[in-house]
Amino acid sequence: MKQRSVLTVLGAWLLVAALLSPPLSQQLRAENNPSAPVKLKIGDQAPDFKLKYFDGSDLKDVSLSQYRGKKNVVLAFYIFAFTGG
Amino acid sequence: MKAFQKNLQKLEAADTQVLGVSMDSAFANKAFADSIGVTFPLLSDWGGDITRQYGVYVDKYNAARRINFLIGKDGTILAEQLDSAAIDPTKIVDACERKKLNR
Repeated sequence: MKQRSVLTVLGAWLLVAALLSPPLSQQLRAENNPSAPVKLKIGDQAPDFKLKYFDGSDLKDVSLSQYRGKKNVVLAFYIFAFTGG
Repeated sequence: MKAFQKNLQKLEAADTQVLGVSMDSAFANKAFADSIGVTFPLLSDWGGDITRQYGVYVDKYNAARRINFLIGKDGTILAEQLDSAAIDPTKIVDACERKKLNR
């Protein structure tokens, strides 16, 4: 009898939890967020920056403005080193 | 980044500099570049100021989104590719080559 009421309470909890949590597909969609807009639009001026990279012996500065009038620049943001893409 | 390396000659021929950017340290990025054979600079946005300024910072994992911006010689944004579309640089290569022909 006691065991049965424990099961009933547990079952009720699971039901409430299932009703309150959003479906998994929705959670996944929010994480991937494919349609989230980007602040900068095509035609906008790209903000200048100055960042460093290590060429094997020294830290070197690179700025966007150094390419102005000379080259197009592909700025490829990636999530972490040692990941794909 | 590997896909850009494969297309690097085409991009360079179309007057285009490729720059990777992440919030890793410059040294981690160099090790990453060496491990996958990337020869263009992988810039370190340590602290994420530029990532935030470009609006591509993701709170959830404290890092940038996977995004490419093609920036023209005049400093304006010519093309953008988001997330999984950003892994394949074909469109950027095409855009650069088209631009070269039109000039």
